[in-house]
Amino acid sequence: MDIHKNRFNWTGALIWAVLIITLIFTVMPLVFMITSSLMERNQILRMPFSWIPETFRYQNYVKALEGNDGSWIFPRNIFNSLLVSITVAITTVLIASITGYGIAKFKFKGRNLIFMMIMATMMIPFEAIMIPLYMVATGLKMQDSYAGLIVPFLVSAFGVFQMRQYLTTFPSEYLDASRVDGLGEFGIFWRIVFPNCAPVIATLGILSFRGQWDNLLWPLLVTQSEKMKTIPLYISKFAEEKLTDEGAMMAAAVLASLPMFIMFAALSKYFIGGSAVYESRKG
Amino acid sequence: MKKRTYIGIEKKEARWGFAFTVPAILFFCLFSFYPILNALYTSLFDKRVLSLAPPDFMGLGNYTYIFSSPDFWNSIRATFVFTLGTFIPIVIFSLMLAAFLTNIRSKKMRGVFQIAYYTPAVISSVVAATIWLLIFDPRGLGNQWVNLLLNTPGVDQKWLADRTMVQLSTMIVYFWKYIGYFVVLFITGLAAIPPAIYEAATIDGSSKWQSFWRITLPLLKPTVVLVSIMAMLQCLKTFSTQYLFVQGGAPRAPINVITLNIYTTGIRNQRIGRASAMSIVLFLIMLLFTWMQFRFSKSEEVEY
Repeated sequence: MDIHKNRFNWTGALIWAVLIITLIFTVMPLVFMITSSLMERNQILRMPFSWIPETFRYQNYVKALEGNDGSWIFPRNIFNSLLVSITVAITTVLIASITGYGIAKFKFKGRNLIFMMIMATMMIPFEAIMIPLYMVATGLKMQDSYAGLIVPFLVSAFGVFQMRQYLTTFPSEYLDASRVDGLGEFGIFWRIVFPNCAPVIATLGILSFRGQWDNLLWPLLVTQSEKMKTIPLYISKFAEEKLTDEGAMMAAAVLASLPMFIMFAALSKYFIGGSAVYESRKG
Repeated sequence: MKKRTYIGIEKKEARWGFAFTVPAILFFCLFSFYPILNALYTSLFDKRVLSLAPPDFMGLGNYTYIFSSPDFWNSIRATFVFTLGTFIPIVIFSLMLAAFLTNIRSKKMRGVFQIAYYTPAVISSVVAATIWLLIFDPRGLGNQWVNLLLNTPGVDQKWLADRTMVQLSTMIVYFWKYIGYFVVLFITGLAAIPPAIYEAATIDGSSKWQSFWRITLPLLKPTVVLVSIMAMLQCLKTFSTQYLFVQGGAPRAPINVITLNIYTTGIRNQRIGRASAMSIVLFLIMLLFTWMQFRFSKSEEVEY
């Protein structure tokens, strides 16, 4: 009995040790980002590193917004990222839900073909089509514009798939009842179906917002002028410049992460639920 | 079969079905199918953006070129080294951590760990790369921690300078960023296993360790396979970390993954045809893994 108890404690301690070491590993770089954003540059790369800022250097944030060339383009880039991410989140949710609804609840010739086609696009990685896509955007005169940043991401195949999966279980009786009551098809979608998809909508909206907030590759191709660039481009350029102050770089990183941190704090269950949705692909 | 009176309704239903789905289909045709077909077509031509002359047809010339170029083989090597070196540790560790976390009784504690592990996934990959660029600085935290652990004061591990180390560094960044995401996936998978099975096993005298190997793992196999392939697909597409590291001064060759090569070849060097051929190769590699994913998810269904 005694031996048993002893052994259990050992494994228990080991489990806790692993969990806590991993916790330190995942959280430490984030803490590093935040504290070093308030440090003088010579304190950041000092050996040994001290975690408390000696001087509370808020000027790093001014420098991050101002940029090395003093152009104050970062606020504009932040605005661009917000605009693109919010627009894409809204259009993805709207178009994906209406398409998913069409596929889930209407019988028509070619329905399965359409669904298969949309599923097939999930197999096409963006990285493999970015160059022809760039030529499409140029052909449509969308390069270096908001349209160019937004239009290729108006809706995602994964979004349609998710909405369709969710809506196949939606009781058709509600729809028929509303039809009997004389509500038009758009009215049914907008008043009955859409409001009932709230959890999927939240998950999908966050996923789409995040996708664009994080998007480096496409803006790298499609934008040329500084004022059309988005946050990832600004940060990567800022990090490359030789005269960049490390403290200001971390301040820019904090500013770029702030909206995501706020969203995560407020809606963490949709983030964590959001990744769990991939599980539904099994079915 | 069908009665005449229903045709009107069916037609109406079909019409609305079309109306709701056609816009998305048009969108996908223009922004997914057309580009991939275009890439396939362009890969057969010697197309360069700046030249005004119509591109020369070269058949499979671009493919023979890239497959005989050491640079492209290096990219394939870099991509696979990165993928294997990242997804295997991620899957093993996230499964382990998920199993540990589900054993914590306090729900609150579990939530705290889950959120802490997940937070790096929330920030953008560019931010992740800049943080680690500083950590991997010769005077940075990376050296300080490792020297503390290995008791080798003052040694520079050359995180961003050495051929092998820079590959390891990109893997660390990716591992750090996505570990929590995969922990959450596995926790969902573990939660789907009915506790009654464990209770029965415990009554039969099974230890926790035995239960894990004999019950959890076999039942979780479909999730493990699925998550592994998902992780592989993600790793094959990696771009941001490598791009930022190269921009930050790391040597290009060891971490010149396929996506980075496509970008440099197509956009910087304006070799559109050649870059399209690389894109098609990347597409085919990923298609193979996606196909595997679908096959496994069909054949490995488990009923509880």
